[in-house]
Amino acid sequence: MSALDSIAVQAEYETGNVVPLLHEIRHALERLLNGEDGTVIDMRSLPLAPGEEKRIEDALGKGEVHADLDALGPTTILETSYPGVWLITHRNTEGEVIGRFIEVTRFPSILESQPEDIRTGLTALGNRLAEDSA
Amino acid sequence: MRKDQNLGEYLRTQGVSRRGFLKFCSATASLMALPPSAVAQVAEALASARRPSVIWLSFQECTGCTESLTRSHAPTVESLIFDAISLDYHHTLQVASGEGAEEARHAAMEENDGEYLLVVDGSIPLGNPGYSTIAGISNLDMLKDTAKGAAAVIAVGTCAAFGGIPQAFPNPTGAVSVSDIITDKPIINVSGCPPIPVVITGVLAHFLTFGTIPELDHLGRPTAFFGQTIHDRCYRRPFYERGQFAHTFDDEGARKGWCLYELGCKGPTSYNACATVKWNEGTSFPIGSGHGCLGCSEPGFWDHGSFYKPISAGLWGSKETLLGAAAAGAALGIGSAMAARARKNKAIKESEADSS
Amino acid sequence: MTLLDFARGPALQWSLIILVTGIIWRIVGALLLSSRKDLSVARRKSGLNDGLGAIATRSLPAHTFEKRIRFQHVTGYAWHLALFVTVLFFGPHILFFESLLGFSWPALPNGIVLFSAAVALAILIALLIRRANHPVQKLISNADDYISVILCILPLLTGILAFAHIGGRYETLLAIHLLSIEALFIWFPFGKLMHSAMTFPARFQAGTSFGRKGIKA
Ligand code: SF4
Ligand code: SF4
Repeated sequence: MSALDSIAVQAEYETGNVVPLLHEIRHALERLLNGEDGTVIDMRSLPLAPGEEKRIEDALGKGEVHADLDALGPTTILETSYPGVWLITHRNTEGEVIGRFIEVTRFPSILESQPEDIRTGLTALGNRLAEDSA
Repeated sequence: MRKDQNLGEYLRTQGVSRRGFLKFCSATASLMALPPSAVAQVAEALASARRPSVIWLSFQECTGCTESLTRSHAPTVESLIFDAISLDYHHTLQVASGEGAEEARHAAMEENDGEYLLVVDGSIPLGNPGYSTIAGISNLDMLKDTAKGAAAVIAVGTCAAFGGIPQAFPNPTGAVSVSDIITDKPIINVSGCPPIPVVITGVLAHFLTFGTIPELDHLGRPTAFFGQTIHDRCYRRPFYERGQFAHTFDDEGARKGWCLYELGCKGPTSYNACATVKWNEGTSFPIGSGHGCLGCSEPGFWDHGSFYKPISAGLWGSKETLLGAAAAGAALGIGSAMAARARKNKAIKESEADSS
Repeated sequence: MTLLDFARGPALQWSLIILVTGIIWRIVGALLLSSRKDLSVARRKSGLNDGLGAIATRSLPAHTFEKRIRFQHVTGYAWHLALFVTVLFFGPHILFFESLLGFSWPALPNGIVLFSAAVALAILIALLIRRANHPVQKLISNADDYISVILCILPLLTGILAFAHIGGRYETLLAIHLLSIEALFIWFPFGKLMHSAMTFPARFQAGTSFGRKGIKA
């Protein structure tokens, strides 16, 4: 966390980015229900006013699922109060945000175990069993 | 990272899981301003990416660009990318200097002939080669020599891209940009004074990932970052549309976060990514803290008049000259009226003479 | 030097010098024109009232022909009004005037200004088409009329495009907008646009001379 985070940003003004974003999310949810692909929105690509990111977070709220993963630094995965809308925050090992995405999907793919990792794990398990039986 | 390894192998030997790698890829895609749908493509390309050799030359500059880049705290994605390139020569950062450094440069050039990436910050003085030299070699000679075997050149910062502050009127050193000298290599201009660090690494990441030059605008800047103006993406834009402007830096409008056009904001004519990517790990950007954009990513930004002069105001306005013009007009008017009178009197006389 | 720098710098400088020199030249020249001494006995003493009266009556619809020229009247008034609102009360324009004059005044909301600019532009285009097609107007129009109208259309058109960011990069649109105004500045003193400086003095003069002759202006 950098020292800048400790300066409270006082945003007195509205810029009107939150509502259009919510509309975009609504359309993405409708597409998802119709069997189309999910949608990922990169928060870095949005022209946000000071404090607006927080307002988006508040507007989305917290849902039932909260997952943390630890790969090249912590990542938090939150299902928002709207099922199917996930807030994913990637941080580096210093805790700095390196990417922030809103994913509209049934299940964020980053949570799935990857074949490469499964293979590595399988080898490790095999080795362990071999050692144990030896 | 060993030179014969590709990035995927390297990360695995570092104990980075596939999941970690995918996270790295989505951060990198975001860094390159690619849509999130491109992550799979990035992952595929990055896994087999080779480590390119980079030579970094610093000419007439203030080191602000290098500072901008290295001040991003390690280890970020950016620094991972830096691990993934081999920075063989960076005059400002390396320990060696003089002959030793020059040897490193030559070794890297020979070993990677035709393949290395040349990064330049700073402008090149043509006024007198002695204005700026490294190890006794003039900037001009060093640039020409090093560019010969480069795959591409990245001009980092407005000085290298367009001449920048050294070129500002009256340009005492005869400073020029990289593209004024190198004409036979692809050049990517990453302008800004300094450029956003994420933009520098984003361009490096693009080269590392795809081995190609990103799409460029008419000034040689990657359109992913320089495709839109600050004004296009400014969160104060709704106030601009409504004509709600701050008149001073501390009036009611300024407090309400209204548009800074009247205070000289150059956002409408400045192409850069500040409004979305922002500075200091995405904390803010000048307009976010109540100051207009200076237009630092544009050619000649130092010479477009005061930073606080609105874009719609003229750069010229001399009351004396206009009074002079009025006086000249009056003189012309008097002159032509006198001439007209003379003609008229003459005609009257003639007609009176005729009728008598 | 970029196109915008040129438009804001040297082009502005020279067009303004030509504008000011030209206007003063023509006004002074007209004022100093001698008229022959009127030897007749004045019907009555004419003065300020007659002059101002003429300005007023000539600016109001002429009753005899009103029906036939109503279109010109309405469009003429609307166009001038819309032009003044657009030129004088758009925020960025006021900044331009302030940089020249050193003082400023409050702006109108952009919505109003944009509306009046669109009205002014539409009227002018309609009048131009009418001028080119109307049998009588066609006959009495010369190159000066067309040049003057087109030079008024261009700044309005380019201004709206620049404001809305349509058709090009903002810096290019703004530069073209400025250059179109500068073209107008240069043409202004030498063509019919000079009426903006001449109309009222001419009406005043006519009023006083009519008064002397005992004619109601
Ligand atoms: S503050 Fe600057 S960039 Fe933002 S809307 Fe106003 S003029 Fe445009
Ligand atoms: S906001 Fe403008 S002046 Fe500031 S860094 Fe970005 S482009 Fe440069």
